[in-house]
Amino acid sequence: MAVTERVEKIRQNYLNERPHISCERARIWTESFKRTEGLPQQIRTAQAFYDACNELPVNIFEGELIVGASGEYRRCGILTPEYGWKWVNDEMDNFATRPQDPYDMTDEQREFCRKEIFPYWKGKSVEDTFLARVSDETKRIGVDTGFLDTDSKWRGGIGEITPDYADQLFPKGFGGIKREAMERMSQLDETKAEDMKKMDFYKSIILVCDGIVRLANRYSEKALEMAAVEKDATRKAELEQIAKNCAAVPENPPTSFREAIQFAWFVELGGIIAENPLALNIGRFDQFMYPYYEADEKAGKIDYDTALELVECLWLKYSEWVWVISSNTAGFFAGYTNFENLTIGGTKVDGSNGINTISYMAIQATKEIKTHQPTLSCRIQPDCPPEFMEAVTSLVATGCGFPAIHSDRVGYQMLRNLGCDADDAKDWSNCGCVVPHSRKTFEWTSSCNISFTAALEFALNEGKSRLTGKLVALPEKDPKTFTSYEEIKQAYFRQFSYMVKHGVISLITAQEINQEKAPRPFLSACNEYCVKNGADLVDGGAKYNIGPVFTGCGLAVTANCFAVIKKLVFEDKVTTMSELIDALNANWEGFDELRAKVQAVPKYGNDIDYVDSIAKELADYYYHDVTSYTDYYGHHFTTAFMGISNYLPTGKVLGATPDGRKATEPITEGVSPYTGSDTSTCLAALRSSAKMGHDIHAGGTLLNLRLNHDLVATERGRANLGAMLQSYFAMGGFHVQFNTVSNETLKDAQAHPENYKDLLVRVAGYSTQFVNLSKSMQDSIMARNAHEEF
Amino acid sequence: MQISCQHDKRNKERKIIMGVKGYIMQAQPFSVNDGEGIRTTIFMAGCPLRCKWCSNPEGFSQKPLVGWYERKCIGCGACTKVCPQGIGINMNLERDKCIGCGACVDVCPKGARSRLVTFRDADEVIAEVKKHSIFYQYSGGGVTFSGGEATAQPELLDYLTSKLYDMGYSLDIETCGYFKFESVKKSLERMDLIFMDLKHMDPDVHRQYTGVSNARTLKNIQNLNLVPADVVIRIPVIGGVNDSEENIRKSAAFVHKNLPKAKMELLPYHKFGTIKYEALGMELPSADFYRPTPEAMQKLKEIIVSEGVKIADYR
Repeated sequence: MAVTERVEKIRQNYLNERPHISCERARIWTESFKRTEGLPQQIRTAQAFYDACNELPVNIFEGELIVGASGEYRRCGILTPEYGWKWVNDEMDNFATRPQDPYDMTDEQREFCRKEIFPYWKGKSVEDTFLARVSDETKRIGVDTGFLDTDSKWRGGIGEITPDYADQLFPKGFGGIKREAMERMSQLDETKAEDMKKMDFYKSIILVCDGIVRLANRYSEKALEMAAVEKDATRKAELEQIAKNCAAVPENPPTSFREAIQFAWFVELGGIIAENPLALNIGRFDQFMYPYYEADEKAGKIDYDTALELVECLWLKYSEWVWVISSNTAGFFAGYTNFENLTIGGTKVDGSNGINTISYMAIQATKEIKTHQPTLSCRIQPDCPPEFMEAVTSLVATGCGFPAIHSDRVGYQMLRNLGCDADDAKDWSNCGCVVPHSRKTFEWTSSCNISFTAALEFALNEGKSRLTGKLVALPEKDPKTFTSYEEIKQAYFRQFSYMVKHGVISLITAQEINQEKAPRPFLSACNEYCVKNGADLVDGGAKYNIGPVFTGCGLAVTANCFAVIKKLVFEDKVTTMSELIDALNANWEGFDELRAKVQAVPKYGNDIDYVDSIAKELADYYYHDVTSYTDYYGHHFTTAFMGISNYLPTGKVLGATPDGRKATEPITEGVSPYTGSDTSTCLAALRSSAKMGHDIHAGGTLLNLRLNHDLVATERGRANLGAMLQSYFAMGGFHVQFNTVSNETLKDAQAHPENYKDLLVRVAGYSTQFVNLSKSMQDSIMARNAHEEF
Repeated sequence: MQISCQHDKRNKERKIIMGVKGYIMQAQPFSVNDGEGIRTTIFMAGCPLRCKWCSNPEGFSQKPLVGWYERKCIGCGACTKVCPQGIGINMNLERDKCIGCGACVDVCPKGARSRLVTFRDADEVIAEVKKHSIFYQYSGGGVTFSGGEATAQPELLDYLTSKLYDMGYSLDIETCGYFKFESVKKSLERMDLIFMDLKHMDPDVHRQYTGVSNARTLKNIQNLNLVPADVVIRIPVIGGVNDSEENIRKSAAFVHKNLPKAKMELLPYHKFGTIKYEALGMELPSADFYRPTPEAMQKLKEIIVSEGVKIADYR
């Protein structure tokens, strides 16, 4: 189990090189848009994409087998000013020094952006338009507040999509897709208004197909040039192979495993150039790659080790690209993570076992090279073979936080609940962190972060923020005058519904603007149904159009707060609302005795119905309220309890809470217990979580637990972990992810980051390098409770 | 109303007749080192031995017991206000007065008071065990009886094992081996796996460190031929007491000769129990005991194998 020298070199470079901003894509895009004024947005976008493919710098870096980069740097991030430039303008002077996810950028680059790029987009970008359209009231609660945030849907590209390798890309190639577009366009009638829009769409498809093929061919030419002067015979042969691959794919269907891997990276690269997306997922990698491996292996063209090296090269490509985001967003998605989710395992559409050699190869690649991408997810079916469970749990045992482990059946059920056909639901793959998804779908899967705990703060503080004293939500009566638990609960529901309402308004506005301004021709070309239907993703061309997903956070904290109010104020009467509010306003200073009593009240995560039933009631209210709305396209909104890293920024803006939490401390993610409050066993935490009824929250549910490393150090321990997972799934749980690195290791890593550059830890639904997290994020990971009784 | 009241009363009476109660230390879910899979271990109080290295000293007595964790205590005095015996914050100064009612445990805001032994209804314990059924099913786990000493309350053990056996749970027991065989034979027959300790082969040394001779334990090892369960003879390897190669060799030879079906497991000494001694205001175990090195443990395992006995390992 040793990686090749080549892979190790690329890996070391990835670990040691700081991400760099490239302005090239933004420059080309802007210049292209200046040339196409007046044309339909669909065409302009596709033309800009073509121009980028035609003009972007083409570099093949040392040792690479899989080629293609989004700019001139190897670890590179790009700017997409057509979505948002204001935040870049405001923040780029601090890019290199900000605590979370810093980037390098030169003064010349900054000057260039301010002079040549940003002025053009002033008033035109999605961000500008959004901020011009939403009301001050919506902004007060829902723009850069940490209470309710939707900015990933109007400050940057959307992403959250899975290109269809199995039914669209691999069988057809972009050459085939282009031919299909031309064929379908020839059937249209130019004199009909509806067909005109379709014609524009097909023209855009032809442009993007030509674009991505052009980009590949430029790499092919570059490889040939380099081969001609290469002295080392081995490298020369490799370059010639690269030239061959890039001449063949992605224009044509892949004819080998090698070509299929290079194809997959060009698709990812195309998506990056198109919109700098969050969660451009890969889908069921083991399912669509295996036939190529099997054929090559049978023909004697490839062996396991060669294939593994290629997979590792691909993993490094997924990791070298950097998703450029605002510091606000970086608080929510810390660690340069771009959520290129890759799914392995589970059953095939016919119900039989889908686990194959590539499933194991993917696990081995992640284990060996410890890259933070792809976000490796696995589906576990009830009769998952023990050897696969051992492979999965032994990856868990390395402490890297991968894979995210999901229930095959609950994922299926969630997609059925969203209206997918049985066959498509059975073929689900994961999106972003923990979203069950179909590659035939258009959906905003993480569109609105909503803080349950903020709603409680407003209910208990006359609609005001406790930290700023400003009114941000609905006015409410003096909290000291509440006379019953029920009254407080109703006040909370009012505030919560108010937040949901403004989340809905923000998202419908953002959808409308995205449809006008941000068509997605390249990613539409990767979707079978868009091409069939002659409609872009933003025009509802996909087979399934699913309403945007709200992400609830703070469920556990909020339930714990309600339990305190119920028990101590109204049942046991050991305190009063008046004293409790005074304690919150004093940030618990001088209320040690009351705080001790508060901390002794049952906490969510210990299988205690008293508080778990409150959590369930809050979760159900959330579900019913959010799903009662329909979006811009007429589809119901969806709920999720995801994690990302949102429990930190949402905590920072909140004052002290009745559960004893002090001001600005983190809240909770997904359906996970509050840090350190799950003091029983992790069986209890699993049971509490399972009570939430996961399948209705079809945007995904997330549970994070920490396990002491000793528990999974032996094969026997790992088998028990596997049994624990299956039990959780049998109870209806959807996802669980573990951190198993000891706190001693993490403390040492905090003190000596230089020794731990490749130490991956799970944040929430994803993993990233520990040393790339801010100090506060590192501390909060260490504070999570480790279950040691195993 | 009247009818239902009478009904309740009748139920209560029935419970007194039917219900079995006993002294329980705790029912620990998610135990994975005392048998197959994920198990709940029921720790039952009342051990007849007094091993000088014991890590569960609260299990010595069959009476309700409350512990005080000084490090968690903030000295608020809430406990003193509810104590029917008028005991102060440092209860270990007045331990003889404590009746173990646990009133202080319920009011302590910091969890500095803890019930270490409770007189509990067996059905209540069964309800706790049942909660985790799904984890037993998927892992091949079940219930392990431990202690203290599981055989020290034979009626309670019989009640629990017969009920849980009928529910289809896998049952294991961990025992010091010091019991009247006939009093627990029926319970032992319900077991899938029996862990029995063998602390020393020399009767005098055994008495010196545990308070009793090893004769009864040795006899019970032979008796285990009469029950169908698999058996693991466990030696807690205490550095300075029983870790000599000679003792281990003799132990293995005895097991090989008298209970051929048994495997053996060696558990190196640990000091996790120290905190409980402090909570009970008891004198700490001798600091002379030490944990054998991994190399020494390996050597001892090889000796056992050389005597023809297989090694079991539930780590």
